[in-house]
Amino acid sequence: MAFYLAKRLGLSAAVILLVVLVLFSLLYLIPGDPATIALGPRATPEAVARYAEKMHLDEPVWAQFLIYVGNALTGDLGVDVFSDRPVAEIIGERLGFTLALVSAGLGWAVLLGVPLGCLAAVRPNTVFDRITGVLSVGTIAVPSFLVSIWALLIFAVGLGWLPAIGAGEPGDLGDQISHLILPAFAIGLSWVGYLARMVRASMLEVMGENYIRSARAFGLRPNKVVFGYALRVAILPTITLIGMGFGGLISSTVFAEIIFARPGLGKMIFDAVMARNFPIVQGGVLVATGLYIVVVLISDLVIAWLDPRVRESL
Amino acid sequence: MPKDAQTAQDTLLDIRDLSVEFRTPRGRVKALRNVSFEVPRRRIVGVVGESGSGKSTVLWAILGLLSGNARVSSGRIDFEGRDMLRMSEDELRAARGEEVSVVFQDPMTSQIPVLSYARQMRDILYRREKMSDREKRRRGIGMLERVGIPDPESRLDQFPHQFSGGMRQRAGIAMALLTEPKLLLADEPTTALDVTMEAQIIHLLQELQAEFEATVVVVSHNLGLIAELCDDVVVMYAGEVVETGDVHDIFHDPQHPYTRALLECDPARLPERSAKLPVIPGDIPDLTRRLGGCIFADRCPRVMEVCRTDTPPDQPTASGVARCHLVGGPHADPDWPPPLDVLTVRTGEGGPRRAAPDQHAAPVLEVEELNVRFRTAGALPALVRRIEDPFVDAVLDVSLGVRQGETVGLVGESGSGKTTLGRAVLKLVEAQAGSVRFEGQEIRTLPEARFKPLRRDMAMMFQDPVGSLSPRKSVRALITEPLQIHGVRGVDFDAEAERLAGLVRLPKAFLSRYPHELSGGQARRVGVARALALNPRLIIADEPTAGLDVSVQGEILNLMAELQAEHGLGYLVITHNLPVVRHIADRLAIMYLGRIVEQGDAEEIFAQPAHPYTEALVRGVPQPDPDRRRTHVSISGEVPSLMNRPKGCDFVARCPYAQERCRIEKPEHRVQPDGRVHACHFPLR
Amino acid sequence: MSVNRSELDVGQPAVDSSRLPEEALEDTMRESAARERREKLRMFLTSWQGMTGLILVLVFFASAIFAPWLAPYDPNAIDIANRLSGPTAAHWIGTDQLGRDTFSRILYGGRVALKIAAIGVSVSLVVGLILGMIAGYGPRWLDNLLLLLFDTVRAFPTIILALATVALTGPSLELVLAIVIITSIPQYARVARTATLSLKAADFILAERSLGASTPRILFHHVMPNVVGPLLILAAMEVPVVVTVEAGLSFLGLGVLPPTASWGTILNEGYLVIRDTPWMVIAGGIPLILTTLGFTFLGEALRDIFDPRMGRGR
Repeated sequence: MAFYLAKRLGLSAAVILLVVLVLFSLLYLIPGDPATIALGPRATPEAVARYAEKMHLDEPVWAQFLIYVGNALTGDLGVDVFSDRPVAEIIGERLGFTLALVSAGLGWAVLLGVPLGCLAAVRPNTVFDRITGVLSVGTIAVPSFLVSIWALLIFAVGLGWLPAIGAGEPGDLGDQISHLILPAFAIGLSWVGYLARMVRASMLEVMGENYIRSARAFGLRPNKVVFGYALRVAILPTITLIGMGFGGLISSTVFAEIIFARPGLGKMIFDAVMARNFPIVQGGVLVATGLYIVVVLISDLVIAWLDPRVRESL
Repeated sequence: MPKDAQTAQDTLLDIRDLSVEFRTPRGRVKALRNVSFEVPRRRIVGVVGESGSGKSTVLWAILGLLSGNARVSSGRIDFEGRDMLRMSEDELRAARGEEVSVVFQDPMTSQIPVLSYARQMRDILYRREKMSDREKRRRGIGMLERVGIPDPESRLDQFPHQFSGGMRQRAGIAMALLTEPKLLLADEPTTALDVTMEAQIIHLLQELQAEFEATVVVVSHNLGLIAELCDDVVVMYAGEVVETGDVHDIFHDPQHPYTRALLECDPARLPERSAKLPVIPGDIPDLTRRLGGCIFADRCPRVMEVCRTDTPPDQPTASGVARCHLVGGPHADPDWPPPLDVLTVRTGEGGPRRAAPDQHAAPVLEVEELNVRFRTAGALPALVRRIEDPFVDAVLDVSLGVRQGETVGLVGESGSGKTTLGRAVLKLVEAQAGSVRFEGQEIRTLPEARFKPLRRDMAMMFQDPVGSLSPRKSVRALITEPLQIHGVRGVDFDAEAERLAGLVRLPKAFLSRYPHELSGGQARRVGVARALALNPRLIIADEPTAGLDVSVQGEILNLMAELQAEHGLGYLVITHNLPVVRHIADRLAIMYLGRIVEQGDAEEIFAQPAHPYTEALVRGVPQPDPDRRRTHVSISGEVPSLMNRPKGCDFVARCPYAQERCRIEKPEHRVQPDGRVHACHFPLR
Repeated sequence: MSVNRSELDVGQPAVDSSRLPEEALEDTMRESAARERREKLRMFLTSWQGMTGLILVLVFFASAIFAPWLAPYDPNAIDIANRLSGPTAAHWIGTDQLGRDTFSRILYGGRVALKIAAIGVSVSLVVGLILGMIAGYGPRWLDNLLLLLFDTVRAFPTIILALATVALTGPSLELVLAIVIITSIPQYARVARTATLSLKAADFILAERSLGASTPRILFHHVMPNVVGPLLILAAMEVPVVVTVEAGLSFLGLGVLPPTASWGTILNEGYLVIRDTPWMVIAGGIPLILTTLGFTFLGEALRDIFDPRMGRGR
């Protein structure tokens, strides 16, 4: 187990390092002065000079890279071009909004999608299964940003039931939750279908395994067979999928934050792109990908915890 | 089963007119048609049949666990007088695991991988509400101990993947007996196991049946297992029961032509080496069609006009029934069945036995001191986990030769390295040391580019007949592919494909088929044709009869023998199937843990093994004759993992004759005056 | 077919039979193979999901290809007098803030979607297939290296990667295409790799090697035909993703630039006037949903039929 953990951590570190390398080299793949590219044409000469100094632009490229990595390791992601505030600090302010949205969106999707998939798999080819199937495919097919726009149109603009923009008054939990509902609904909707289909397929496959037939041959109760045995195995690929699909969830989150003007990480990166504020973009992208890698790592560890075979494999 | 000898009370399970259909994309498959038989209390009943006979379907129908596309169209299954087909789901569930329990075919896939045995056993005992968890645990430990699992206390908390194959099957038996069921069903309980393990499991089942006074139904294709274990036998063919009876009657006086043919085809029953093996021509009928007349008529050597039109009634026999016109009624033949030593099925052209290969014929293949090592852990993990030697010896110092026109049998259980050796010879896996010479030329160190032309002369047949054919290629493309690979020019590929198909007696129409449309026997023929395409001089055949029914395997072996006689091929036949190898091999090499423990003339080895392991193998095969049951199992235990190879003799832990010296010193290969080679400090001869 | 008896049953007993077993088997086999093909076709034709998908996909192709003949107006013709009109007889689904006919713009927008989908999916399919086969069949170190690369690319949520690059290069159709290709290659590659890996140890590949077949021959003659099927189904399922990415990026103003009509730009313009008229965000969303729904249904139906493992119980 210790070795497994070490290997997974090592791999994650390698991926993050490569991500940083990609972000870093993007700057150099474009012809022109890195400082001007990074800061955009509107930056003042002082800002350019400050940036050049800060980024050690007089050093060779590989040294700049090492310095960036070294700084990133100590939590220093550079400074905002306009406000001069540390990027890490700005990200820290925004990250909470994004995490709240992601957890809420994924949370309701899991709570609804997994049981739906289970029930559909237990009663294959019934009316319930068919309706769940069509609804699942339907929700998977609707792009999340469209759900965001239409949800905004219907529930905020049209019916006026819920607030359209912002994240709510700080300190007012009720207000914050009412601001969370629409974007969480929008990013979670396709996941309900996605998870239901995945759990159904996985359950159907496991239900056909010999060991499920064994469990039934030993006379175990149907509920025990389905939830104690089949789901125990069928949930494993679903967890992997949640981990891997998390990247898509981050994409949906970016859209939802922009459409609902929610001050999260995605909105921050988008605004920075529009303002050509590259240090913020770079730092934001690094944290967003880091988030994805951490989630994949957690999902792998959960699987290792649930499956003794994985635990012992190298 | 003698009806007069049994009162209804003594019948535990009574199956009457059971018919089952499966809905498939190809149409309705009538998998079982009017199956009837009885299972008396405290008897072991064997249901025997080839693939497609429906024997497993019977078993699942008893449990009410047929797959979703199955439908029971008629019949009843009375268990202690209650019809299981008409029980409510709750009643049925109460019976399953409590009164009726199962031992499964493949312990690898039939035990849930993510739960420990302790948990699985506690779940099975869930109905015993008065039992505390501690008591359940104690019971589990006791049962594991009873089935022969050492250190059951700690093993109980392990997971299935931490058990070896044989241990897993023992644990499976322990789980089945945990509730002390009245009826124990066993679905091919030894098919997934090795020969030496098979003997132990048969013995264990016998002991436990006596101890628990259980009634057992064993489903198997293995005649030896049935003869060894069962009291009564039910013979099934293509979804029908063709004959029932006492085990002695079935094996010594079979009435139905199919039973008779099946017994004649079993190589283990043939008293001596014969050049040709008996076969039942044809294939089982398509069960989606409307069937009239006798189900076996198309393949029956004694078919009559009436057999094609009228379904034969069940005719009473000495201890059961036989569904055949020959046995009773207006068409009965007083001369049927002929004495047992007369073959009712043909073996092909009798002819004299192929002459023994010339002792001085040129060697085709010479392997010397060959070693193949496998990495068990990557360099980094090995370092982290402090594994000093992250390698295992899959093949260890093997020396072996095949002469022109000679068949050498390479015999061993799984994990013996026999397949690896075969692949290393053809450079499909890398060998680290030793030499492989083909017709005198060293090939082990030859680079692939220079070895490629030699591949024309050395062909391989793989274990899985269908799986070794590229699934998206037509038979025509497959057969001519060797010619394309080696850039053969100036031949008409179509004509060549037809010639090769003719050579292996594959009808021309099959050339446009795809592998999944072939039966095992047909696919095997394609494999042989591919091997022959470039006129090789050596063929390495890995389990050539694996996956083939008894009635078909003879065809392939006969074909191989014919081709050998015609082309002077050298064969290296890799197999675990001793009865088969006995009939085809001139010489034998027995492998254990990657080492050859004994090598010599095949007949002599069978008559007088020198190595205790060879003896165990030879005596370990269950004989298809209930009068020749073994009274004890000669060796215990299982093939150890390559990772913990014993310090002394590899076989020491299981050897009944092991002495102190065997534990310390690894026996060298020794050559006896008659050419027999063995690796044993205390040979049996 | 006539089979010479003696050629078939050498030395078999004289069977008193008018029908030879082999011959009977022949008929049976031919019949059952044809029956299975017919059955598969019937399954597809009677699956409402598959047929709905097929019709929607055909409509998508037809409307995009024949847009110039179908569109009632020039998509870029400005008519300020009729700006933001709702559905009228002249403009079936209204006009935008410049008075351009939304229906015509949607038809032309389909061309952009089709172009991106066709190029994006085919290029990433081919590259992913080849990389996946190399990873699966090649040496361990190459496999690990490629996996690390795939993981790194996947670590960037699509939108985040798009934001990071647009920040440097500015928006363009080519960039959308590049991002689509780069982010979907790992999807195909992973599927191809897994399939290749399971084939690598298969007996028939060993059999080919034992005959002396070269590695390219094995890969292209024996591995590819068995890998490409699931990949094509994946491609059908990926079309919606690609179309959505294009629409999403264009919606954010990071993809197709105005005045070119694309479903994303229509949604963007509609979003800006969402409080004035709901018609544009509704009209821009419907073709997007129908297209993604069509391809998803088609892909699901194909998978159910051709991948019996997934289709069990259906």
